[in-house]
Amino acid sequence: MIEVKDLTKRFGRKKVLNGVSFTAEKGQITCIIGINGVGKTTILNGIMNLTPMNSGLILIDGKKVSKESYEKITFIPDAITMLPQMTIREAMQFMQDFYNSWNEERANELLGFFKLKQEERISNLSKGNTAKVNLLLGLALDVDYLLMDEPFSGIDIFSREQIADVFTSHLVEDRGVIITTHEINDIEHLIDKVVLLDNGVVLKEFNAEEMRASEGKSVIDVMREVYKG
Amino acid sequence: MRSYFKLVNFELGRFMKIYLVLIGITIISQIAGVIVKSRGYLSEANQAIIVNSMPKEQFLEQFGQMSMGTFTQSIWFMGPIALCIAALIFYCFFIWYRDWFGKNTFIYRLLMLPTARLHVFLAKVTTIFLLVIGLVSIQLILLPIESMILKFIVPIDLRADLGIMEIISNSRYLFVLVPDSFIQFIINYGIGFMVVFIIFTAILFERSFRLKGILLGIVYSVLSIIVFIFPLLLEIFFGVNYLYPTELFVTEVILAIIVICAAIWTSNYLINKKVTV
Amino acid sequence: MKVSFNKREPVYVQVVQHFKEQIATGNFEPGQEIPSRRELANQLKINPNTAQRSYKEMEEEGLIYTEGNSPSKITSDEKVIKAVREELISQAVDSFVTSIRKVNVPIDELIGLIKEKYTENANE
Repeated sequence: MIEVKDLTKRFGRKKVLNGVSFTAEKGQITCIIGINGVGKTTILNGIMNLTPMNSGLILIDGKKVSKESYEKITFIPDAITMLPQMTIREAMQFMQDFYNSWNEERANELLGFFKLKQEERISNLSKGNTAKVNLLLGLALDVDYLLMDEPFSGIDIFSREQIADVFTSHLVEDRGVIITTHEINDIEHLIDKVVLLDNGVVLKEFNAEEMRASEGKSVIDVMREVYKG
Repeated sequence: MRSYFKLVNFELGRFMKIYLVLIGITIISQIAGVIVKSRGYLSEANQAIIVNSMPKEQFLEQFGQMSMGTFTQSIWFMGPIALCIAALIFYCFFIWYRDWFGKNTFIYRLLMLPTARLHVFLAKVTTIFLLVIGLVSIQLILLPIESMILKFIVPIDLRADLGIMEIISNSRYLFVLVPDSFIQFIINYGIGFMVVFIIFTAILFERSFRLKGILLGIVYSVLSIIVFIFPLLLEIFFGVNYLYPTELFVTEVILAIIVICAAIWTSNYLINKKVTV
Repeated sequence: MKVSFNKREPVYVQVVQHFKEQIATGNFEPGQEIPSRRELANQLKINPNTAQRSYKEMEEEGLIYTEGNSPSKITSDEKVIKAVREELISQAVDSFVTSIRKVNVPIDELIGLIKEKYTENANE
């Protein structure tokens, strides 16, 4: 389980996170929803210790993030984190060189799944394919937790469908996933849990299926209530 | 430790293309330079002695003998060295900033490696160190080759032959790069690398605190330098001068080690706790 | 398999409903193997946990059964299949009746209309 407790973060005088708390379970897809600029990315950066928090606590299976954590949890930012002059093959080689959790077999499977060619240079890829390589490099790690920042934004519809397919496949199964998005429509049926974020606080945290069962409300219904209320 | 070596290898690879170009420029410019300079000298000599029938002794008196010493003063020789130095100084900064800038923010990857983040820092320092040593070695290999070319072109009565050590000690600049004693070598490169450590730490201050970080970085750098030159400051401002040269040397070595350790400790703290993508 | 889900009803309920329709119409034959939960999630583009929950629900209702480690199968129990069919028919009729009652049509006219439309549609 990933536990986020009372995170605060200021950029200059601006408070971006103002006591954010939530949890994300293993084996579930947790979706952090909020309009742009409400600190979704900052939370993920915070979990990965990529930017310091002013206060708060982050625990991954009860432990603070250390260098060992990076074999257990990985982050797929919204831009690719490899050198543009590398080929896909070289990027995969880099991952294999540094991560024990790299699963070459799964990586090759993903290449086929996304119909990518190993010898292509990252700088020559389309936006959609760049996003897929970025995803591949994260998904091919045998980690328990995956964080993805806006995996669906800014890419074409077909790439989006392909990426959505990943979530219903064994590539994600049994792992804990946190994704951020400002657009819930495509993935409403894919997610287990919703964390609604606004003005640096969590407005509501609920299970999507339970919400439909108990109150007959879709995620968008809840968002409408919460953001307009 | 294995990941540290992999990182060094990786960092070297990232600069290799430019590095090879720098080496290429140095080789071409210096070899071409020694040919051009030697032939130029020879044609001047021909002009003076054969065409203007000036006695050889008078020519030598007026123009001097051709030697590697003359060549190493020329732009053909110094130009590429200056270029390499400038490129490496620039790369001291760029080796960090290239990971942050651009659409592909590689710093995410580097900070998320399952290895101590200090390895990333040390790998970059090591890379700069190896790049410098590499260029100096190339220069040391080039010198005897250039000396041979000069001997091949200029006849023995018009030239003064110098050994490699003489060539080096004749040039003020070369002497800094390749000192004639091991101790001096340690001093020159020790100071150089202490400065690299300080610069890297200052960069991490900037990357951690951005605008405020620039100020912190400058303050930190100035403090580090003050610590290092403290005995000299005492001497200059207070006329205190009670250390023998060897004592001064030992003191400076200790101070340099203190400054470098402080830089590593500070960088370790910054890159683990404060740095931001 | 393609199902369009509505967003306000639990997805697992809709999946169960879909299976019932397929069973009632005979598209899923008794004893037919059904996809694993992962395959189902993938085909329907739903969360694997939801697929799991649908199967659990169907297992409890006796619509599907699992023997040992082999894949789950559609029930061969005639009684269950018959009950599913009746349930679906009565659900559909109920909702039809509720909406037609508002229009207040005499029963004979209504039956005539139903016959006409129902055969007309089937011929298309």
